[in-house]
Formats: sequence, C-alpha cells, structure tokens
Amino acid sequence: MKVSDNDKDMQPLVRVENLMKSYANRKITGQCEEVRAVDGVSFTIFPGATLAVVGESGSGKSTLALCLACLEKPTSGNIQFEGADISKLAEKERRTIRRKIQLIFQDPASSFNPRWSVLEIVAEPLALQGSLSRDEIRLRALALLEQVGLSPEMERRLPAELSGGQRQRLAIARALALEPSVLILDEALSALDCSTQAQIANLLVDLQSARDMTYLFISHDLAMAAHLADEIAVMNHGRIVEQGPPDKILKQPQTEITRELLAAVPRMTFARPEAQ
Amino acid sequence: MRVKRAISGWLVLLVVLHATVIFAGFFSPYDPAEQDRKNPYLPPMRVHFVDARGRFHARPFVYSLRLHEGTFDQYEEDTSRPLPLKFLVRGASYHLLGLLPARLHLFGVQDERIYLLGSDSYGRDQLSRFLYGGQVSLLAGLLGAGVTLLVGLCVGAVAGYFGGWRDDLLMRLAELFLALPWLYLLFALRAFLPLAVSPLQAFYLIIAVLGAVGWARPARLVRGVVLSAKERDFVRAARGFGATDAYLLRRHILPEASSVLLTQAAILVPQFVLAEMTLSFLGLGVPEPVPSWGSLLSSLQQYSVLASYWWMYLPALIMLPFFLGYLGLGGELQQRREPYKIGKEPGGLR
Repeated sequence: MKVSDNDKDMQPLVRVENLMKSYANRKITGQCEEVRAVDGVSFTIFPGATLAVVGESGSGKSTLALCLACLEKPTSGNIQFEGADISKLAEKERRTIRRKIQLIFQDPASSFNPRWSVLEIVAEPLALQGSLSRDEIRLRALALLEQVGLSPEMERRLPAELSGGQRQRLAIARALALEPSVLILDEALSALDCSTQAQIANLLVDLQSARDMTYLFISHDLAMAAHLADEIAVMNHGRIVEQGPPDKILKQPQTEITRELLAAVPRMTFARPEAQ
Repeated sequence: MRVKRAISGWLVLLVVLHATVIFAGFFSPYDPAEQDRKNPYLPPMRVHFVDARGRFHARPFVYSLRLHEGTFDQYEEDTSRPLPLKFLVRGASYHLLGLLPARLHLFGVQDERIYLLGSDSYGRDQLSRFLYGGQVSLLAGLLGAGVTLLVGLCVGAVAGYFGGWRDDLLMRLAELFLALPWLYLLFALRAFLPLAVSPLQAFYLIIAVLGAVGWARPARLVRGVVLSAKERDFVRAARGFGATDAYLLRRHILPEASSVLLTQAAILVPQFVLAEMTLSFLGLGVPEPVPSWGSLLSSLQQYSVLASYWWMYLPALIMLPFFLGYLGLGGELQQRREPYKIGKEPGGLR
C-alpha cells in the first residue's frame, strides 16, 4: 500500500500540530464560557495509511474531523496538507482544498437531501466541479455506484428507500467522486448492524488498496479501529492521551480511558446454562 | 415531484372561485359602474321555477320588482311580469382578461334588468360589483402576499445563513415591525400623500403597505428553517464538494423553506384581502367607482343601510368560501410539510 518511492514515503500527507478549537458558550447570565473541544492535538498521517482516532462521545473527535475537512476554522495550531498549511487559508482557497479531504458522516438520515434521487446525490460533487457535461456526469456517477456495490438500477430511488448499509455505500460513492486523497470516516460504521459493518469495512479496505486512499477513521469502537488502522490515537477531553500501533494499544493499554474503551468491546462468550 | 399527490379539494374550490372572478366580465350581467337610478337598494330577485299560478317552467325566471304602494323603499314581486332567464346573451361590452373585447354574458334577461344580489344606492348591480371587486381585492391580497414572502425569504435567509450582526440587526428590525400598530402607520403614510390619488396609485400603495408590515413573521419562520437546515450533514457534505454559499442556499437550504412559504402564502392571502377591505372600508383603499370588496361593504357604515337593506351584507357572506378555501389549503399544506422522511415510506404521512 505504501508508496515505494523513498522520498514520498517519508513525507506525511497530513501533519496536525497543536490543533486547538474552542467555542464560546454564552450562558443565561451573559457570561461567556470557553469550551475547548480540541485542545492541543498533534499527529501525522502518511499516504496510504489509516489512522484511527478513538474516544468517547464528546471527546472532540468530530470537531477534529470538521477542522481537518476545512469545514471549521481551528482557533490555533496548524494543519499541513501535502506540505502546505491549510488552517489559515481564505474561504476561496479552502473550497478547493475541501475537495481533496472528504468526510463521511455517521447519520445517514441527514447525510443526503431527502428530496434528491440516488443519481442526483452521487452526481452532485461532479456537477459542482463544473467542467463535465451532463452525459459524462451520469456515466461517472453510475460507475461510482457500481464501485461501491450499488446496482445502477437504484439511480432513481430516494435515500429513504435505501437500507442503512446501502446509504453508507452511497455516501462513500459520493465522497469518492472527486477522487480525494484523504477520507475522514466520522463514526461511519456506528449506525450499522454488525454484518453490514463488516461489509462496509471490507469495502473500505478494498478501496484503500485499489485507490491508495488515506483514511482517518473516527470511532468509539476500539475493536473495529484495531481491525482497520495502522495506528490508533485515543482521545479524551480534547487531547490525545495515548497513541501507538493497534497491537500495543490492545495488549498494553497505558491509560484508564483506553482500558474502559477496551472493556466496552463486546466479546463472544459461551455461557452454557447450568443443567437443571 | 415524483410521488403523485391527490389533488386537494380546497385547491379545486379555489380555482373555480377565482375563475369566476378572473372572468368577471362573462359571469356578471352588467358593467359594475353602470347605474340604474330608478332602482336603488333593490332586494335580490328570487329565481323561480313555478309561477304564481302553480305552473312549472323548465326555464327559470325572475319577477320584476315594483314599489309597494305607500312606501318608498319596499319592493314586491310583480307576478304579471315574469322575466325568463336567458343564457349566453349579448350585453354590455367588456374586455376579457383586460384584453379581449367581448359582449357575451353567462345570463341576462330581456328588456328589464336582473339583480340576483340586489342593487346599491346608485342602482348598480351588486353581483357584478362583487365579481369585479374581487379582481382588485384578491389581486391586492396575492401581490401583497407575494411581496411579503419575497422580502421575508430574503431577510430570513440572510439572517439565518450568515448569522452574526446581520442576524441581530434583521431580527430586531423584525420585532419592531411586529410590534408596530400598522393601521396607524398606514394613516400616517396616507396623510403624507395628496388627498386624491388615482385608483392605480392607491392599489400600489396598499400592496406596498401590506408588504412593509407583513414581512417580519415569514422572515422569522424562514430564519428558523435555514438555521436548522444549514447544520444538516448534506449541507456540510455539499460544502465539502466546494459548493458556494449561493449554491447551498439555492439548492439545499431554501427548498427546505418552500413548504413553510406555501403555507404562509395560503394564510396571508385572506389576511391581506381582509386588510384591503379594512382600508377600503375606511375610505383609504381603491377609490370609487372602481369596485373592491371593501368599498362594497363600506355602505354598511350608514346605519340606515345596516338596518334596512339586509342584502348589503351578502357580499361578505359570499367571500367566506374564498377565505375558507385558502385556510383549508394552508392547513393541508402544513400537514404535508415533510413528505420524504428517512426511515418512513415516502409520502407516508398521508
């Protein structure tokens, strides 16, 4: 998966340094309270690799994702993408960067405009590019559907008529349309049932090897993170408290929060009922 | 839309009612300004099928009215003079839709005049005046609602989407306008203008005033919809594809507001027609001889009319189905607000 060229291999695709994002929380009394959602986070991701960020809800994972996707401006710190700082760009430049860093959301109910058909949804990023003809857009959109395992006959369906797994496939197809180099999966598997989770996870692995994709996998599920990622970062209260290869995190957890997350992973146990 | 919807009964009612007003020239027997000074305050003529001797007629007829002996305003039917109704007759010339010259009327009688809704103090046919007056009043209501919703849409979209100081400024302004006693504002505005304004000027003035006072409520509603819509993931996703603000508003956010706007329109139109009526009732509306629903009812300001000529209330009664139609349609639109909720069958709300 990793690029054989030595120089490229050494150059990280994404480098986040001391990233901070805080929100002002206005209280009824008129006082302003600063809430630090992300509080000094640093990491690097190499091309073709997967970094998993694991943490409880409210630990700042989603804010991190929005900052990285250029959808929120960080309060301080910087984000380097392909060697250039993208955290302080003007809106117009951010717009072009956004296309290369795509985000997939957890909630399939609000990921799509409920009035649009499957084809319209996949075609939207292509149409927004503005350089393709209608026929080209249609052909490419159908090809994308096929790549993620959706049949082209579904093109006229509404998102409400798809299953949860089909919707997440649709979201992946749409995110791939602009051929991004980084895909951020923000709890993308969390709303799915177990067997569908496995199918989508396999699809993600296949796409990674086929397209040399770089993933930032955000989840609360340590087991799935360990299955997909080359490296895991555990987040708590806006900070990364532990980071390392999956083996190390699973076998020698260093912090309490990691042990708690590990304990939350469901295990197969065969508890036979006692013979009466 | 992809899902076929049952045609609303309210909509059909409204279309039929509006057709009679739009083609007022055809449906009304006379010109609304045509006076018949010999017959002021004539009561409505009853349509008969059976004459005074008990004989049945296939063609409906009315009796002409004559003064009751010894009175000056009590009429009685002159049973010796039946006036059979004639359909599709040629009569006073008019312009259909304001363009096509025509003389054809739905009904009429020969030699005499027919007054199905009675006549006013100048002997003008109330039915004709009602239908022509509807053109003015309904158009004022529709245009007023259009202006209001357009302003409300723009203000609400800017306030909700861009937020910050724009939001604060626009919403404080909206609150100010909501608290304004608009009738007195109108008086002040009217006092500012010369005493005699042409009917067209007065018409535009009414629409401007209705729009100026009405935008605040739809603006607040649209702002609410925009606020929740812009946080949806599909809007974020589209921004991720490099969408501009204009694109997001046009394609994703404002369509969310369309059902709110339609519902508002259905509520605002009758409200504005009523406002126009209030203005005309107070003599601030479209001046005579141009009829409007308000000026039709303004004769009720005199106690003698109020007490003696009950048929002068009839126009108000006939307006009811118009207003009910709009309000019924509004209620129906509100129920259909979210037709495609994920997790439900499309149109599952019906």
